[in-house]
Amino acid sequence: MNQARPGFIEFFMGRLDQVLSLTIQHLQLTGLAVLCAILVGLPLGILIARNKRLANPVLGIANIFQTLPSLALFGLIIPVMGIGEVPAIFVLFLYALLPIIKNTYTGIINVDSSLIEAGKGMGMTKGQILRRVQIPLAVSVIMAGIRIATVINIGTATIASLIGAGGLGDLIFRGISSGSNNMILAGAIPAALLAIIVDWILGGVEYLVTPKGLK
Amino acid sequence: MIEFKKVSKSYDSQTNVIDQLDLKINKGELVVLIGESGSGKTTTMKMINRLHEPTSGTILIDGKNIMEINPIELRRNIGYVIQKVGLFPHMTIGENIELIPTLKKWDKAKKRKRTEELLDLVGLNPQQYIDRYPNELSGGQQQRIGVARALAVDPEVILMDEPFSALDPITREQLQEELLKLQDELHKTIVFVTHDMDEALKLGDKIAVMKDGKIIQYDTPENILKNPINDFVEYFVGKDRLWKSPEMVYARDIMKKQPATISLERTPAKALEIMKEKQTDYLLVVDVPGDRPKKVQGIITPKELKNKTTSDIKMKDILNKSYHVVAEKTNMVQVLNIMKENKLKNLPVVDEDGYLKGLITQTTILNLFADAISDYEEA
Repeated sequence: MNQARPGFIEFFMGRLDQVLSLTIQHLQLTGLAVLCAILVGLPLGILIARNKRLANPVLGIANIFQTLPSLALFGLIIPVMGIGEVPAIFVLFLYALLPIIKNTYTGIINVDSSLIEAGKGMGMTKGQILRRVQIPLAVSVIMAGIRIATVINIGTATIASLIGAGGLGDLIFRGISSGSNNMILAGAIPAALLAIIVDWILGGVEYLVTPKGLK
Repeated sequence: MIEFKKVSKSYDSQTNVIDQLDLKINKGELVVLIGESGSGKTTTMKMINRLHEPTSGTILIDGKNIMEINPIELRRNIGYVIQKVGLFPHMTIGENIELIPTLKKWDKAKKRKRTEELLDLVGLNPQQYIDRYPNELSGGQQQRIGVARALAVDPEVILMDEPFSALDPITREQLQEELLKLQDELHKTIVFVTHDMDEALKLGDKIAVMKDGKIIQYDTPENILKNPINDFVEYFVGKDRLWKSPEMVYARDIMKKQPATISLERTPAKALEIMKEKQTDYLLVVDVPGDRPKKVQGIITPKELKNKTTSDIKMKDILNKSYHVVAEKTNMVQVLNIMKENKLKNLPVVDEDGYLKGLITQTTILNLFADAISDYEEA
């Protein structure tokens, strides 16, 4: 380690192109997975908020994926989907589902019941109450779910390298197997920074989408 | 007009939350539904806009069965104000008031104009408030907006579900006063649910006292106070209630019904005799003797009789013509004020045609207070 440190900057600059392209790949993996999770999780969250009987089964299933160790889940997917980017994105997608479904659901059902009563009593339809009252009021909670899912996925995506999906995990695992601390750090530091920066950006988005009257 | 015909509501098909309820609410009346929790008052109100639906019976609005009206359409034409106000926190005051007009696709200029009108009506400056958010307003201001929102599309009927009970007493009183003023101007048909008898007596044109899904008594506040139909209503009204609402006590309730009188042709000697017999120093001089309806002509006190004891003097010669009378329906607050301002010990009560009905004296007022205090101690 002591010897590795002075050479790290040079090592890193020498592989800047590779680090950048792996970072982009990393972001693609995470981004696609989260995007799919939003497309599925958001409607599912709304659905179970309106049909509460479905809430427990749906949240239960989503919770299973969340509970499985990520390495085990990657292992389990190989016999089914093989290796590469697609199975990796699929696993990351499963991981991102729970926070998105759960926050959508919680955000909607936690809207003050007197607002729903007022809306209903005034003559708003269920759809109007959903679109004009429940979703706008739940949007910051939903956004927080997306933010959690994304940050978790940036971390988990480093492991996706093990099933040949690429990303910054490549550098870390290659560094481990070749005993190069510089290589490990060249993957680990950008991955950590990525998580922090994305979290920060999405935090800003969360603030921006919070309705003005609630700030 | 809203009409309930044999309306029942049951959640388990065994016990009726609302039991064979008949109720007629006239156009332009403010009717208060009052009762303890579980009496069915809120359920009754919520059946009017179909938030609850009757198990049996019919509810008519202006002769039309509400079960045949689309519930969304029905609700958009009925104002609705709830205890928790329910302003949407992510919308400005203007957007909140304009919500139903927006859903009804009013054009922008019309909406804005109406909102400004309504803010004026509930006593909030439009320029100052229209673009603010609910959480910047006090509880009282929020409920004013709640009322404005209910009035947005100028509905004929307004339902109010304990709208003021979460407010502090001073604000509550202000909003009650303003509702009365508003109602004087707008003459809406208002169904108002409360558990607060003071509020009911103050606001209601009529009060329906409910218990176990039935209406026990449906009457004017005055009759509820003075002629409670049974022990429950009396208990619910509270024994000391009359005492707390002096404006509900009228001259005819406190007057002595057979005051000492003397006719015009009588002599001073007779006057002294009557005074002695009736133990009073205040006689009403009336136009006819006996039990016939009489009109007051003047009064006689020892002052008028002084040095005028000869039998050729008649009451008509010496009566004092400067005296006050009050009508039967003058309330106690006014009676007390008149007596105080004019330093009166006695105050005759007359009907609309000027015939004598009775006399309020310091003793009758004292008796009233004594009764009220003993009731109060019992209660």
